[in-house]
Amino acid sequence: MNPVLVVFGYALVTALATGLGAVPFAFVREVSPRAVAYANALAAGLMLGASFRLGEEGTAYGGVPTLLGATGGVMFIWGTQRWLSGREVAFGATAGLAARQAILIVVVMTVHSFAEGVAVGVAFGGGTTLALAITLAIAVHNIPEGLAITAVLRPRGVIGVLRCAGWSVLSSLPQPIMAVPAFLLVDTFRLALPYGLGFAAGAMVFMVFVELLPEALNAARRPAVALLVSLTMVAMVLFQRHL
Amino acid sequence: MPATLTVLLYSSIAAATAAFGVVPLLLRQRPSVRWLGWSNAVAAGLMLGAAYLLLVSGGSLSPLALGSGTGLGVGFAYAAHRLSGTEDLDLNELDNASPDYGAKILLVHTLHAAPEGVTIGVAMALSPPLGVFMALAIAVHNVPEATVLSAILTNRGMAVSRAAGLSVATNIGQILMAVFTYAVIGAAAATLPWVLGFAVGALVYLLIAELLPECYHQTGHTSVALVTILAMGIVALLGGWLG
Repeated sequence: MNPVLVVFGYALVTALATGLGAVPFAFVREVSPRAVAYANALAAGLMLGASFRLGEEGTAYGGVPTLLGATGGVMFIWGTQRWLSGREVAFGATAGLAARQAILIVVVMTVHSFAEGVAVGVAFGGGTTLALAITLAIAVHNIPEGLAITAVLRPRGVIGVLRCAGWSVLSSLPQPIMAVPAFLLVDTFRLALPYGLGFAAGAMVFMVFVELLPEALNAARRPAVALLVSLTMVAMVLFQRHL
Repeated sequence: MPATLTVLLYSSIAAATAAFGVVPLLLRQRPSVRWLGWSNAVAAGLMLGAAYLLLVSGGSLSPLALGSGTGLGVGFAYAAHRLSGTEDLDLNELDNASPDYGAKILLVHTLHAAPEGVTIGVAMALSPPLGVFMALAIAVHNVPEATVLSAILTNRGMAVSRAAGLSVATNIGQILMAVFTYAVIGAAAATLPWVLGFAVGALVYLLIAELLPECYHQTGHTSVALVTILAMGIVALLGGWLG
């Protein structure tokens, strides 16, 4: 089979796996302010862990490019946030602050998928013999990212679990799209990779500190937030590193 | 110089640096609330950077031991707060002159210093340059933390010189724990992933439970995020060069 199709197909599977992250929220009915705070803390821990991994991977290619990329990611999300805050927006059945946050998480995770797509393509660059192993690893690694998106969307959006899964998958679609050119032009994209990984890490960390943590700390007690964030963060790093 | 003496020397420097925390108080009578917020954000960012460096340096360690160690570190920080009744304590009440508050604030700062000593000790065990760098990062971290503490102490009528002395005294635990940790890992290398996980878990828990909640009330969310990320990025970049 054409290796380009193989790479696209496998990367598509990893994108679909992101939708599985929405599943646990099918069993959560309660949307009290405290439950929203816990969901925020959960998403914050998952995203911090994911950004640590992105930083770790990026610096393996080059520390300074990663840092430059991270600066760009912070600036981009900062700009997006300012742009959104000046406007009336709606998302699902919500408007105002909740809608802006919902849009922001989708933007952050979509942007991060571009970098991950490049990483997938470069990983396949050695050939498609390890394709299945790489695909499985990345698919599994995407599930908690879908969980992070749903943890933000579900309590705010008044949108159903299926639509949360849909948005999770949509935010991962840049993965197959970017994987193909990165696979074909491995050497070029390998140079861009640390910038992209840094960009994704910066975008995520900024979202965590500017939206998720202050809101979590506002509506839940400190020990609960600190427990959730510290444990999920390290769990995410270990999960993504070893699977 | 014998390795243990290096640990003793650098952890002592870290603890002694806390005395510089009174410098802003000498320059002006009372730091503004926004400056307290940024001080807390710098302190938080440096801790997160330290946690990042430890996690990246421990990349090849057993995930099970590292994860279990994290659980212990988070559990330690949680229990320390619970047992001392300080889990909801605001560390920035400049005008609270009650004796109970004074005692609790010193207790919290003393407990907070212990995992930072573990951080220095485990970093020294990983590699001496990383350990020296970590001690310097903790030293810098001690300054803004001591500024907030000294502002409270001097507001209660304490002389600036005594506030500086007490700030150093609350950090003595750093020296003890750094040397102790280094000795334990030297005697039983198998404890390394446990200790590293412990340090990471406690650092992240404490920065979220103690430092961040107040920041967000003291100054804007965006500036907290930017200052925290900047401090963290500098530690990650400089530490990355050593690793």
